[in-house]
Amino acid sequence: MSDDPYAILGVKREATQDEIRSAYRALAKKLHPDLNPGDKKAEEKFKEVSVAYDVIGDPEKRARFDRGEIDASGAERPRERYYRDFHTAGAQDHPYSTAGGFADFMENEDILSEILGRGEGRARFRIRGQDVHYRLPVEFLEAVNGATKRITMPDGATLDVVIPPGTNDHQILRLREKGGPGIGGAPPGDALVEIEVGPHKLFTRKDDDIHVELPISLPEAVLGGKLDVPTPAGSVRMTVPKGANTGRVLRLKGKGVPRRDGTRGDEYVTLKVVLPDRLDPEIEEFARRWQAGQQHNPRRGLEA
Amino acid sequence: MISVQEFLLRTRVEHQSLEAWIHAGWLIPPQTEPELAFSDVDLARAQLIRDLRDDFGVNDEGISVILHLIDQVHGLRRSMEALLNELRGNREDGD
Repeated sequence: MSDDPYAILGVKREATQDEIRSAYRALAKKLHPDLNPGDKKAEEKFKEVSVAYDVIGDPEKRARFDRGEIDASGAERPRERYYRDFHTAGAQDHPYSTAGGFADFMENEDILSEILGRGEGRARFRIRGQDVHYRLPVEFLEAVNGATKRITMPDGATLDVVIPPGTNDHQILRLREKGGPGIGGAPPGDALVEIEVGPHKLFTRKDDDIHVELPISLPEAVLGGKLDVPTPAGSVRMTVPKGANTGRVLRLKGKGVPRRDGTRGDEYVTLKVVLPDRLDPEIEEFARRWQAGQQHNPRRGLEA
Repeated sequence: MISVQEFLLRTRVEHQSLEAWIHAGWLIPPQTEPELAFSDVDLARAQLIRDLRDDFGVNDEGISVILHLIDQVHGLRRSMEALLNELRGNREDGD
């Protein structure tokens, strides 16, 4: 094993940091233990390469190494277990493992049990069942406030799915051991339920915030007042200030989507001034007489 | 079970990334109520995702594909191992 980090990465001593990084990336891609689950040599090489990159991948450490202040072993940061270490046959089943790569071989299980079952039906051959994927449409408010939904599985059995408050569109919920049956006494797979959140006629959602448009009358816009505003958790009273215009956005703090830490996002209320369907003569008369209004030009600065 | 705080510290991943990874379905926390918690498998998987993103420069679409293939390879290796163990067991019994 070479001690020279430059030799290990295969770069010249005068290589730029960019060259060193791309040399490291090229090697790491080939050697990463999770991409070479069965190759012990790759793991050893990967360690060497990581240590070398730890030293000369960092300009400061590299300068110190070049001056001889630190040695090539640098500071190897202890790595926790690799992902692949959770996949050996002795290890416990875990939720990400999938039989998708060979499920087609397993359809005719009889052949396997014939080959494997010769020793008086011992069933040491165990394979965890397949994960089963479902899509579950939920209504907007069910996703925001939480709900329990029942789905019927292909075999007719039903499954209660708890939708936690604040569930996102396309979020996947994992239901342990509700998937396909295992072989040889192994546990069943999981049911993976993808949530599809429907639209709402009033609310739209942006991350943890709720947006809503609130129509207000002309007197309400001019004089202000306390108005009832719908939120996902029911309506609340909001103070609209005097002279509130169309497009003005007011924030209702903590009236948005529940978060996991117990807090909630906000609700943003966009005001929209709405004239009555039929104008009465009084307001027409007022508009004609209103001097300041005639002079007000809301399109100033709009010239292209 | 590992709390969110500890998880972020040990994986050296930002909170925003964690949220995005859960959203993408790359990480599926085993516990969401009353609060989010993770297992050792999730931790190792997050470190793999971080390696792919930070060291290998893989983009989001690439990471999805790689994770899916890795999980399949692991599944295959595992059943191959189980199968071989079973065959060895049978042969010894026959002797």
